[in-house]
Amino acid sequence: MIWSAFKLSLRVVSLATLLVGVTGTAFGFLLAKREFRAKELLDSVLTLPMVLPPTVTGYYLILLLGRRGWLGRYIYRMTGWSVAFTWEAAVIAATVMAFPIMVKSARAAIGSVDSRYEMVSFSLGKGEFETFFRVTLPLAIRGLVAGLVLSFARALGEFGATLMLAGNIPGKTQTMPLAIYEAFISGDDREAQFLAVILTVTSVAVIYLTNLLSHSGDRA
Amino acid sequence: MLSVNFQKEFRNGGGRSFKLDVAFTVNHALTVLFGPSGSGKTTILRSIAGVVVPDSGKIALGDRVYFDSSARLNVPMRHREVGFVFQDSLLFPHLTAEANVLYGMKSGKDREKRKRVQELLDLFGILHTLERFPRELSGGEQQRVALARALASQPALVLLDEPLSAVDVSTRSRLLQEIVEMQRRSNIPFIHVTHNATDAVRAGDWVLILDQGRIVQEGLPLEVFNSPHSVRLARAVGTENIFAGTVLSQSGDDGISLLDLKACQLAVSFNGLAPGTPATIGIRAEDIIVCRERITQTSARNLLQGIVKTMIPDGSKMELVVDCGVDFKVSITRQAVMSLSLQPGAVVYLLIKASACHTLS
Repeated sequence: MIWSAFKLSLRVVSLATLLVGVTGTAFGFLLAKREFRAKELLDSVLTLPMVLPPTVTGYYLILLLGRRGWLGRYIYRMTGWSVAFTWEAAVIAATVMAFPIMVKSARAAIGSVDSRYEMVSFSLGKGEFETFFRVTLPLAIRGLVAGLVLSFARALGEFGATLMLAGNIPGKTQTMPLAIYEAFISGDDREAQFLAVILTVTSVAVIYLTNLLSHSGDRA
Repeated sequence: MLSVNFQKEFRNGGGRSFKLDVAFTVNHALTVLFGPSGSGKTTILRSIAGVVVPDSGKIALGDRVYFDSSARLNVPMRHREVGFVFQDSLLFPHLTAEANVLYGMKSGKDREKRKRVQELLDLFGILHTLERFPRELSGGEQQRVALARALASQPALVLLDEPLSAVDVSTRSRLLQEIVEMQRRSNIPFIHVTHNATDAVRAGDWVLILDQGRIVQEGLPLEVFNSPHSVRLARAVGTENIFAGTVLSQSGDDGISLLDLKACQLAVSFNGLAPGTPATIGIRAEDIIVCRERITQTSARNLLQGIVKTMIPDGSKMELVVDCGVDFKVSITRQAVMSLSLQPGAVVYLLIKASACHTLS
């Protein structure tokens, strides 16, 4: 049970971090560098999962993606598959919960890049795409990596929304935080302790690595 | 030839607005855009480059139209081929000098591009910076790399936004000379925004003077700076003494009029103003000669007795305020201060040529 929870968490969290990294950076860029109406409204909506109780977010996800959900019913009708109570649901829950942190970090990191660097790039004949990858991204990379690490941590600790959307099926949707809960409830203290230690060590390692990275970045 | 004609209104809080309304053509190799801060210089450059979109008008370089509101045409910045150099070099901090210059180069073989970068950096005398990062370069080196980067992209036009203002004094004039050389060599028009009159005179083929969003005067640099048309402009170009008075008398054909400043009178060289009309004149602080004795045999038409009120060091110069009934600001070298043993309270005589008094409208 421990081993399967660990493996599942690893898979769920890496996928969620990847998804969050791409989408969060894209929305962060939009919010930092583009002017449009209802920008702050969009920011508020994107931040919602950070302030809502996770179970409420999970409930909304069921309303959206469940077999009879607004979107889920069409997926079910077309493919006969529903996301609820699958390991993919854990990925979705973790992604949605970590997303606001990434958007906030990316908006701050990309917003702090002097837009005149981008102006110089345009004046040198480069388009938006090339400018983003060759100028904006490298200059914002430290803030973005910091955002990724926080998102990773948030995804790793995700509990409420996962429980709602993916359930708690050992070996299938039971991630480490859920496994700790179950072990504790069923009186298996040793297992709970062991999992807690793994999570703690992983967290410390991640923070340590980020610090290393950001300090080596001082010279760049 | 670059022709610029556009309007742009900026609104800021409290119903205040700033309107930029300019029309000029650039026929000259190195054109200086001069004006006090807030006059709209940078906005003009940014409109030409395509960063700022004007409300209306047309901007074209030869037959290449950059912007035309009537045709709803606005060519994006990256297709304008405009080299832009800012006051802080804005070299990409994560790239070496070489990679910075390479960044904007058009397609070509890698080896040839690298060779071209080396040639350019060598021209600026900074080949040693090739593999260094921007933070390892001095201010002057950074600006040279930035210039090389702009030129390497083979622009049709180069815009310089106060490129010398962050560079130390000793490098300043050499860099200015290099800019002139680069312009001559590349043979593309340069527009240089500055608020430094000396730079404008030293390295400008033509000067456009901007004030409150409009071009108020243009001409050859020396002409413009020696005879500004208005009081605001005189302040902008550094004419330190501005006096308002009334014309007392006008003597026949000699072109000299007497101007009454209440506390003293000045012989000035202008015609056509009837006695009794108000007039404003400007005198540059450098154009006034200070003597310790009363000199009578001189071509200068004005000899005023006064007392040194204050002395303020200004680099190698000293700025004196001399009370002759009205206060004159006078700029002389520190050496002159020493040899005349000037100090506050000293009695001095000011010599001012009639032709150094410029009429301001």
